[in-house]
Amino acid sequence: MAPSRTKTMKNKHAAPKTPSAGGDTKRSATSGVSKSKKGKQGPVVSQQVKEKNRAALLKKPKKKVYTAEELNIPKLNMITPVGVVKPRGKKKGKIFVDDKEGMNTILSLVQAEKEGQIESKMIKARQLEEIREARRVEAEKKEDEKKAKLENMKDSLRKKRKRKSAGNEDESLNEVSSTGTKATKPKKKSVSFA
Amino acid sequence: MRPLTEEETQTLFKKLAEYTGPSLKNLIAPIDNSPKADRIVFRLCQGRVYAVLLSIANIATSIARDKLLSLGTCIGKFTKTGKFRIHITALPIIAPYARHKIWIRPNGVMPFLYGGNVVKAHIGRFSEDCPEHQGIVVYSMDDVPLGFGVTARSTAESRRLDPTGVVCFRQADNGEYLRDEDNLFASG
Repeated sequence: MAPSRTKTMKNKHAAPKTPSAGGDTKRSATSGVSKSKKGKQGPVVSQQVKEKNRAALLKKPKKKVYTAEELNIPKLNMITPVGVVKPRGKKKGKIFVDDKEGMNTILSLVQAEKEGQIESKMIKARQLEEIREARRVEAEKKEDEKKAKLENMKDSLRKKRKRKSAGNEDESLNEVSSTGTKATKPKKKSVSFA
Repeated sequence: MRPLTEEETQTLFKKLAEYTGPSLKNLIAPIDNSPKADRIVFRLCQGRVYAVLLSIANIATSIARDKLLSLGTCIGKFTKTGKFRIHITALPIIAPYARHKIWIRPNGVMPFLYGGNVVKAHIGRFSEDCPEHQGIVVYSMDDVPLGFGVTARSTAESRRLDPTGVVCFRQADNGEYLRDEDNLFASG
């Protein structure tokens, strides 16, 4: 009995190999089954994984890769500063323009742009000038009207004054004439002795 | 010494087109009709842009970069922000192709050559239809180019201006050959 017991005790870890005891069977069964499952279904699972991987590998390149422009990221928030962006795969170094045709095209482009700018400037200036002229004419007209009104008022006031002072003026004229005559013929002082 | 890139050429032409008319094309046109005719090209040397004959530019390649001080006619230099600053030395290049001109009376020549702006009282003649803030070449009454600048007022507006009113802001004048002698031709 004893050796058998010890045997069982010793074979605690080895139990899965020989499922005999009732209590051990549960543990051994689970572990054994799992192991056996692994052993049996191993190749199948790996095949599945491989298939999946294959599918994933096939799918990956199909995924759309978004460029920075498509994502609408604010320009200031980018890793590379604005203006330093250099397209990938492009040759390093500067591209010089030294041929006649290249220079001519650039010059004609620039000149067309400049012409347009100057033309628009001149049109704008002309329009502004027209507006200014119209305003000036209007202001002059208003000024003339004001002046005419003022003159009219002045004239009317003068006429009024004339009418009022017409009688007085006659008197004064008489006076003046009389005084004038008097002045020409001053009274001679006479002394009378009674 | 190297030719200009596309961007640099564009910036340079934009600046030159401020002062010149469509005849600027003649500047880069071949000198004669022969198949291998010489023409004026632009070269960048120690930060400055030079207008130089192609044949001379080709010969100048035999001189080491740091030893070559100047060649052809200096037009100006590129700033660190990529803009172009035109120098008085470009006057012989732009004067024959000028779009707008202003002639100043003898009493205004000296004030201008000492760095003053052009005032109404000093104007002898003025191009018609000149908008404001437009590049303009300044001449004396006997058609000698004295410098260049930008208009402060349009031609129409400047007619109504009082005699002390500024018509043209000075940008460069011949007096700089004396005043800025040290900086004008210094390399670097």
